Amino acid sequence: MNEIGGVPLFFLEFGDIVTYFSPFTLTLFLLALVFTVFVVVSRPERQIDIAFGADAFFAKEISLPELRFRRFMAIACGLACMGAMVTGDVFDFTLFVSLVGICNVGIVAAVRTYHVRDAAYQYGLVALAGTVPLFSAAAMVAATTGTLSMLELASPAAPPVPLIARALLVLGVMGEGMAPFYAAKAEMFRAPGAPYVIMCSLSSLLIFLRVTEVVLLL
Amino acid sequence: MTPHVKKSQALAVAVVSALAGIAATLLTLAGVLPPHADAAAWVIAFPAFVLGLYLYWMAREGEPDIPFVGY
Amino acid sequence: MIAELLFGTAFGLLLLGIHRKVIARIQRRPGPPVWQEILHMLKFSFKTTWVPATASAVLFVGVVLVAIGIWTAALFVVLSGESLLIIFGIYMLHKIVEHGFGLSSGSPYGKFGGVRSVISAASEIPLFVSIAGIALFTHSLMISDIVAYQEVHGPLLLTVPLAGLAMYLVVLSKMPFGPFSIVESKELVSGYKTEHFGVWRAGLEVCNGLKTYVLLTTFLLVFVGNMPFLLLLAGMLVLTVSLSFACALCPMLSPYDSVTVQTIVAGLMLAYVSVLVVVS
Repeated sequence: MNEIGGVPLFFLEFGDIVTYFSPFTLTLFLLALVFTVFVVVSRPERQIDIAFGADAFFAKEISLPELRFRRFMAIACGLACMGAMVTGDVFDFTLFVSLVGICNVGIVAAVRTYHVRDAAYQYGLVALAGTVPLFSAAAMVAATTGTLSMLELASPAAPPVPLIARALLVLGVMGEGMAPFYAAKAEMFRAPGAPYVIMCSLSSLLIFLRVTEVVLLL
Repeated sequence: MTPHVKKSQALAVAVVSALAGIAATLLTLAGVLPPHADAAAWVIAFPAFVLGLYLYWMAREGEPDIPFVGY
Repeated sequence: MIAELLFGTAFGLLLLGIHRKVIARIQRRPGPPVWQEILHMLKFSFKTTWVPATASAVLFVGVVLVAIGIWTAALFVVLSGESLLIIFGIYMLHKIVEHGFGLSSGSPYGKFGGVRSVISAASEIPLFVSIAGIALFTHSLMISDIVAYQEVHGPLLLTVPLAGLAMYLVVLSKMPFGPFSIVESKELVSGYKTEHFGVWRAGLEVCNGLKTYVLLTTFLLVFVGNMPFLLLLAGMLVLTVSLSFACALCPMLSPYDSVTVQTIVAGLMLAYVSVLVVVS
């Protein structure tokens, strides 16, 4: 196996699905873990907003049911993200990535503000459309090479993965991940509930990083 | 209000993390721990050391001279 | 290990101080002394500190620890010649940290700084990843292999100058007072770090020192190659002064202009890398 993310430190085998921890994937995994712990233990901030036309400001409070739902979604997102970081199987990777997309929609869609829900709906459509190239990439890898294991695909003896499959994989991840390419929708990112919103941007950037490694590995 | 940090607690955090990091470095040099174990230890210990040290030397034990008026 | 960490922090902060001094002299101001940033770090550490009443306390404090931790890790990655991809990862996670700094306090200024940080990630990250084009020549992304390649074939800065330019823009984006420093621009008070005062801000200064040291070291190792330690420090100084000229002479771009400029350069870089793929 070539050393894109450093020499793997150890392998964890679930039957024929091998999870591996290289310095790169381990770093990303630990970061996802740390921020998931933050989501579990921290309370959301009370966002201060200026009242226009008056010399006043007010703090936005998050109601308990909304907090519970968003915290659940953020924890699920963190777990999916950890899975996507260390998995050694292309199909598992695409599954985890699509789960990250679903959880991201859940985190922002629970906010009771019209603009945020509108942005979440639009992003939901993007994420939904993103699953098509994502899973078709995994299908194409399986069809052309006969295996989905990244360790086997990385060996020089493995048949080459077509360029279009890699491109579709990147396209799918760009559709699922909210943060870098959908960040112009600032409404979502300045919605109250810092630990949960952080999980949106963290998971999207992490899956984007991991797909860089996966594409270079195949 | 957030709980006050005691000077002794902050110092304890700084000292323990510094000692843990130095111990990890020495043990790695001696070959007891695997390579890069000291790096991993410092990644955790260094932030704790910095914040512990800074909180230690700024922490005040007495009453604040300017009362906090709140938001 | 602790020696490298403390030296990296202090030297990085010294470089940031020199950066401020050079900008000031170009703009015909006296400017602060060069060790001002180190004094800043110490000054903030002696200030009264608490957590704002509106903040999400654990995230507010935890993100400072993460900020120092990731750049400590980055320093070790560079020193041990591990994968360049991990440096990409840490650079990207720094975006999350900036976002976390801004969001956790509940201040609108910090919030907008955080949002800008995520927006600029869309252009800075492709810029950074396009540097992976050097793997076409080195056949590896391990920093130790890249350094070894340059021992034989000469500096990569001469082989792939445009990739060097992309990395230069990445470093420039992270320098304060630069054309791309939209996350801490003055209409947002101090951007994402507005609400982090006292000890928290001192911790952020430690992170900034380490970050400057690591990014400049990475640039020199990846594009110029291995060199004696004193020469490396001199190279970092020269690089800082050139960055200061860029920062002093360019106005700060508006957020969307900043992203547009970086995206155009990233697009050109990707075209350049694909040309390299076809040629090689």
